[in-house]
Amino acid sequence: MYLDETKTILIDVLSLGENGRHLDADSPLLGALPELDSMAVIGLIAALEEHFDIAIDDDDISASTFASLGSLADFVAAKRAA
Amino acid sequence: MNAPAALPADAFFLGHGGARRFCLYHPPAGSCRGAVLYVHPFAEEMNRSRRMAALQARALAAAGFGVLQIDLLGCGDSAGDFGDARWELWQQDLAAGADWLRRRHDGPFVLWGLRLGALLALDYARQARHPVDAVLLWQPVLKGAQHLTQFLRLRLAGALLAEGDNSVHGGTQGLRAALEAGQALEIAGYELAPQLAAALETLALETLAPACPVDWLETVSSPGQDAAPGAARAAAAWQAAGIDVRLHTVQCAPFWATSEITENPAWLAASSAALQERLHEH
Repeated sequence: MYLDETKTILIDVLSLGENGRHLDADSPLLGALPELDSMAVIGLIAALEEHFDIAIDDDDISASTFASLGSLADFVAAKRAA
Repeated sequence: MNAPAALPADAFFLGHGGARRFCLYHPPAGSCRGAVLYVHPFAEEMNRSRRMAALQARALAAAGFGVLQIDLLGCGDSAGDFGDARWELWQQDLAAGADWLRRRHDGPFVLWGLRLGALLALDYARQARHPVDAVLLWQPVLKGAQHLTQFLRLRLAGALLAEGDNSVHGGTQGLRAALEAGQALEIAGYELAPQLAAALETLALETLAPACPVDWLETVSSPGQDAAPGAARAAAAWQAAGIDVRLHTVQCAPFWATSEITENPAWLAASSAALQERLHEH
């Protein structure tokens, strides 16, 4: 249920525009999207924290979280449930 | 709203020497309806939002407001290094900007702040020499500590993504410990003084309720969506405390954080309309 909102934030923050519309849960992110460098990841985390009203710890941030759009949305869902 | 007239902005320095602050003044078209002082956000967010701030300043000037944009100490084209910036000194900059505006306009006085600039505006409004008649908040930071954490993470960007490497630098907690020990930190090209970090740490929007009416704009990711839960809660708390606050939501990318420069006409129009309506009642 968080997939669409997570996708919109990803598209907005990385300024992906039309190219971002084709992303789905299986789309790989880190290493696949040139826009998603390590600094962009930090910006994306901040946007997710504020949009979903969640607090993300240093320990939560790992490459596997950003492996795909689906894994990122699952992470948000888990944080919202926490 | 009519298309903004192409009014030239006056660029000048307010103050001298180390107190030189770069200012852009947008004179009002026609008779003046009020004065607006813009308070920019923190570090890189200031650069990313420059375009939207300039467009809004022009739109408000075309609607009859005299708008002053001031670069705070150590920011933009003003004197001083970022490492010299202190929360209290930034408030003094706002006081200087407000004085300058009040010498030109005796109508309503409005503070308009984006992100951390919104908190600075609210904190300043509590002890301003001139009464503040209205506040326009753009996506205010709710907690200074969270904003600081997000800034500190920029220094850890690479390490945080390297699997199992999160403790190498002690993470954001390690950086906080260094700040608390009085050490300045270099973060994404900005030198952060421990005094400024300590001030950010304690800031909370909920404790900065102003005496005047508030118009508050929040981005949403799809039309008709509610504002983010944290913002909605904070606005409701203010309303319950008797503050006249209107929360406006606009579908808009977070332009202070986007990789590329973002323009959003709906956001600008909503801000102008909210302020005009507010001062019409005034």
